[in-house]
Amino acid sequence: MDVELAKPFIKAAVDVLSTMAFIHPKVGKPFVKKNNTATGDVTGLVGLTGKQSGSVSLSFTKDCAVAIVKNMLGDEIEDIISDVKDAVGEMTNMISGQARAGLAERGLVFQGSTPTVIMGDNHTIAHLAKSPIMAIPFTTEAGGFTIEFCFE
Amino acid sequence: MGTLDDFRNKEFLDQITILNEIAGSKDSANLPALVDLLKNPVGDTSIDYMVVNALNAVLSQNEADTVAGMNDSHPGYRILCIRVAGEYGFKSASSTLVSLAEAEADPDRLMEVLTSLARIADPAALPVFRKYLSHEDPFIVALCIEALGKLRDLESVDYLKKIISDSEAPDRYEICDITTWKAVEALASFDTEDTLTFLVEKLHHKNPTVRRIITDAMTSIGSPVIPLLLTAFETGDTDMKILTSNVLGFIGDKACADGLVAAFDKGLAEDSNVRYALYEALGRVGTMKGIICLVDGLTEEDELTLMSVVGGLEKHVNPGIVAKLSGLLAAATDQSDRLAKAVINSGAVSLFDALYENEGAGMALVEALCVSKDPTIIDQFRQLLADIGGSRADDDIARLPAPEAGAQKALAADDSRSMCAMHKAILTDLGFEAFVAPNGQEAYDFIEQGEDFDIIVTDMNMPVMDGMELVGKIRNTPGFEDTPIIMVTTESEASQQNLAEKTGVSAFITKPFKPEELKAKIQELIG
Repeated sequence: MDVELAKPFIKAAVDVLSTMAFIHPKVGKPFVKKNNTATGDVTGLVGLTGKQSGSVSLSFTKDCAVAIVKNMLGDEIEDIISDVKDAVGEMTNMISGQARAGLAERGLVFQGSTPTVIMGDNHTIAHLAKSPIMAIPFTTEAGGFTIEFCFE
Repeated sequence: MGTLDDFRNKEFLDQITILNEIAGSKDSANLPALVDLLKNPVGDTSIDYMVVNALNAVLSQNEADTVAGMNDSHPGYRILCIRVAGEYGFKSASSTLVSLAEAEADPDRLMEVLTSLARIADPAALPVFRKYLSHEDPFIVALCIEALGKLRDLESVDYLKKIISDSEAPDRYEICDITTWKAVEALASFDTEDTLTFLVEKLHHKNPTVRRIITDAMTSIGSPVIPLLLTAFETGDTDMKILTSNVLGFIGDKACADGLVAAFDKGLAEDSNVRYALYEALGRVGTMKGIICLVDGLTEEDELTLMSVVGGLEKHVNPGIVAKLSGLLAAATDQSDRLAKAVINSGAVSLFDALYENEGAGMALVEALCVSKDPTIIDQFRQLLADIGGSRADDDIARLPAPEAGAQKALAADDSRSMCAMHKAILTDLGFEAFVAPNGQEAYDFIEQGEDFDIIVTDMNMPVMDGMELVGKIRNTPGFEDTPIIMVTTESEASQQNLAEKTGVSAFITKPFKPEELKAKIQELIG
């Protein structure tokens, strides 16, 4: 039931970004990708294991990632690269945690790995599973980001 | 005295212990006190979360209380009961859930109710799932489709077909919706002749992702879909013949090869493109009949088709094949030269190894190897000759040209091994140092590693990352904005080419093509 798994992540993304970074994302229309790569400028990736295993990624455009850092740290940015990396990792961790708690309440227990953050303009990363990937685009005032799910 | 008496005044550690015990014992006596704790939380996040867990455990043993709770005035308790009913598949909850679903206007709560109904999988919920097939939230629609598929609701078949057909509309086909994906999976799970026939017809869907999902679904269904695919092969147009051949090859069942050989014997593979796909499929399956058909294919004259024959035989080398090929190679005819070239260019090392023993065949192969300009191919066979050993092999190694790197570099991506080999031969012939990859992702890896290319040739449909996405990514890479890209395609539909042109393809070439045609196109593009 992939659809059932996706909803808590959407809710968690909206909740976490609006509380922690004061960014209010709008959910776009989900679609399916045939290839197993995620594209973006900054990506946080978490592996999930449980009854099913798979991976969830959050890929931010550069503008969106920078906006998150600015909103979280204000004027205290020291090194934008490491701060962006840190913030996206933290966001991914919180979103993964909150979503997993939501899923656990439905009896779907998952263990999550520590997020990996990948940076680089327009990079690609591979998801673990071979099944189709569900991508959910979000728009914010500061640029877009995409959540992708891939479950065996 | 109840376990939860005076709970709020207890120490944190005691509270945790008590809640853990309840979650373990699932004792119903604690239900009223737990519900009170849920409705009036103590305010500590961890304790409140554990209350939910304990309540979930207790409710799992109390179907009647759970069903009653679904109409409770407290929204949190209501949702908890709805989830518990779904998690434990409480059948008696379905009528209440159905009425809740019918009245619910909030999409998030509706999703909760429908999720539980889907898990309970009671046919009584069918009308609700059908009703929400036209909901505006794609997740709700996708969930309903999943549930209808799970319940094998044949009444929804027409609607599901419509979802797939509508997704081919000119303004929609560029994106594969999750509803289209779920509709394909549901129809595939029905496994009736009607639904499978429909999916076979849609193998030619305008969207490459949908085509891939249908192909994957058929491959996993296997046997039941083989007769339908064979019928589609016999009655369909060239594109359909190619697509069905591919799927039959992936399924890999003996019946696939037998059917394809029968169709071949009926003269249904006149088109060289179809024969190419058919030989590739036969190579994948590898039955006796299929191999005989491949051996007959050794008389093919088209370079590309011959490479798919040789590529197929390479996987099933046997004494019969070796005897036949040795004879053909040693005959010193035009066909011997073509065959030798095909063995070398497709890097068929197992065949080479077996054929080399025959001196005449060995000579023909080494001659073809000597005129090859592909350093990787030459290296590969040089290594093989060294392993074979002996004075004849040593002499032949000495005859091989020294490898030299081409000044210009070219990249080719294709999931067919023989197409890759063909591209490589053409590109090295033109003096390029050729890089080949079985899919867009691996092709792009070369670019990410910092390789610079003067020309790129790519297939349209490939696994992992298709040609369209590869082109998009290349065009977004600094330094590759103007690199000529040729897309090789069998698609006759203009819509696909439009999409590819928009993505940034410089020129197209349609399979089948003669090596000279691709050479001319490359020379035209790089001036």
